[in-house]
Amino acid sequence: MSTSTLNETSIGRDIRLSGVTKAFADLQVLKDITLDVADGEVVVLIGASGSGKSTLLRIMSGLETASSGEVVVGGVPMHEPKRAREIRGHVGMVFQQFNLFPHLDALGNVTLALRKVYKMSAQDARKKGLEVLARVGMDDRAHHYPSQLSGGQQQRVAIARALAVDPRIIFFDEATSALDPELVGEVTNVMRGLADDGMTMVVVTHEMGFARRTADRVVFMADGVIAEQGSPEEIFGNPQHPKTIQFLSKVTDH
Amino acid sequence: MNFSLILQSLPFLWSGFLLTLGLSAVSILGSTVLGLIVAALRTSRIPLIPGLARAYVEIFRGSPIPITLLFVYFGAALYLGYSVNLFIAAAVGLSVYHSAFVAEIIRSGIEAVPAGQHEAAQILGLKPLQTFSWVVLPQTVKIALPPLVGQYISLIKDTSIASIIGLVELMKVGQSIVDRTSDPVSIYLIVAVFYFAICYPPSVWVTRRQRKALAQ
Amino acid sequence: MWIEYQWRTVLAYLPDYLHAATLALRITVVGFLLAFALAMIAAMARNSSVRILQILAACYVEAIRNTPVLLQIFIVYFALPSFGIRLSAVTAGTIALGINVGAYLTEVIRAGISSVGDGQLEAAQILGLSKAHIFVYIVAPQALRNVFPALVNNLVQVLLGTSLLSTIAVPEITGVATVINARTLLFVQVFGIAVALYLVLSYGLSAIAALIGRLAFRAPATARARKRSSALNLIGVRP
Repeated sequence: MSTSTLNETSIGRDIRLSGVTKAFADLQVLKDITLDVADGEVVVLIGASGSGKSTLLRIMSGLETASSGEVVVGGVPMHEPKRAREIRGHVGMVFQQFNLFPHLDALGNVTLALRKVYKMSAQDARKKGLEVLARVGMDDRAHHYPSQLSGGQQQRVAIARALAVDPRIIFFDEATSALDPELVGEVTNVMRGLADDGMTMVVVTHEMGFARRTADRVVFMADGVIAEQGSPEEIFGNPQHPKTIQFLSKVTDH
Repeated sequence: MNFSLILQSLPFLWSGFLLTLGLSAVSILGSTVLGLIVAALRTSRIPLIPGLARAYVEIFRGSPIPITLLFVYFGAALYLGYSVNLFIAAAVGLSVYHSAFVAEIIRSGIEAVPAGQHEAAQILGLKPLQTFSWVVLPQTVKIALPPLVGQYISLIKDTSIASIIGLVELMKVGQSIVDRTSDPVSIYLIVAVFYFAICYPPSVWVTRRQRKALAQ
Repeated sequence: MWIEYQWRTVLAYLPDYLHAATLALRITVVGFLLAFALAMIAAMARNSSVRILQILAACYVEAIRNTPVLLQIFIVYFALPSFGIRLSAVTAGTIALGINVGAYLTEVIRAGISSVGDGQLEAAQILGLSKAHIFVYIVAPQALRNVFPALVNNLVQVLLGTSLLSTIAVPEITGVATVINARTLLFVQVFGIAVALYLVLSYGLSAIAALIGRLAFRAPATARARKRSSALNLIGVRP
């Protein structure tokens, strides 16, 4: 990682899932997921809507709790209710709807956690904020408000906001799905840069091009289970599972 | 809590309550009719009329009810001599005051009907009056009914203000009993229960309808 | 000539009107602050997970909103002494109005709080911000901005409510007008000036509030708002 770490905690950069299930009322969304993500690995989850990939991501980031199974993120046993909060502020999440704070400008969005959680001085926070905005190419718009930015620009600010707290892992929940096609590239380029810098990333996406070029491992999910996983070459070049083949043919057909 | 006093007062409170209900009903009718007229005036093409209607609305929205009631009362007293019918004065005052709010609610309701409706009606060959009666008005009523009922609930509560010109509705009855017996706690509590009984059920309906409208 | 005499007679009482207006304004401001404080507490109680608090807050709101404010004023002024609480007319009136508008403000604040998207709360949570941080720095600023017009509306409601305090002998505008009317019998002028005063005060309050709103909420709210102000710029009106 090129930036200095804010917090010398013992939280790691890997994820271990074992036998994870999740049910909402009567609906079984995840059925027995076992998955490991190594330090610095970029894992991309693909699959149809309803396959459970977003739910899995949200369980890993702590926004949902698994119904059963073990979820260990960076060494923190998330399935133990009292300990789930420990990863807050140490992992990052980028949302489909950006979820920027509209009443703060870009710099404000990025430095809020720095100032309030890490108690950085205004000066230090500003410095780090500008650093991180520069990393995503938005330092010249530090004082623009979300409503003054395009979708792609907003999402890059959202990535900068996640980066500012030196996360161990960053989760991307369909980060480009709400963007106009011509804006997708600027965001995936930033994500690629993060991957090259060695960030552990778990990405849910429909952008097969991104998966092909940037993923270390592609995981295809269907009906709440992992149907197939492997390197991008294996999955896109030589898919084995019938559902994978079906999904990929539908995706590349248009 | 003096229960025997409450029991003794009930007949008087009940007649005051009936007067309150009567005043409410008449004023609701009056304010709705007036409100419809004012709302129509606001959309008129005759110059100056919309402006006057707007001024009407703004004046009542920016002033308190007692002033309106006192105006009506003294005006009537001056021109009709001192045999003013308090009920009529209160009804007129309340109707006029609340008509301003009703007008605004109806106007918003009319404007909330999507422009596409007018266009569709036009293409189908409907004339303006027909469009208004069969397309706009039904949808206006649906949109405007919850806020209208809310306004009527306010009106029912505002009938209590008629007590300041001496009308012996529920509030005034309560006051007189308290003056005589010096037990404000028991009496005002019962008066509160009366008002709550007529206002709460409609307000529950309004809240439910508004929640449904938001969910869409 | 006669009309001119009438107006001059009543206008001679202008100092009394202005004193009354000042009192009305003071009651309005204090009453509204009380209402706001009560509303914050009630809104949080309503949104809390403690059932008793939820029920208490709901009872407060429903009881107040379904009974006349005049009755509430009388209860505070006439009934509380039975419990040993004897208040001056002005204090009682201010408190009653505060309690009354507080119930309406509770719903306004609740609406404001729920208008802040869940997604932002999730983003803030992941960033490690505590619940208190989230409320103070994310929810409150946006909630206040979103419901600001409703807040101003309720402020005006307090002002109009002061008129009812004439029934408990508070020398505010309506009370003073009633006295002047008893003396001069020139009800058109007397109450006409009173109405004018209320209009000036209510519009004045709205205007000041709008100014405060514009200063406090400097972030451009939506792209639409942005386009509107550049259009205004074009025709020479400052946004």
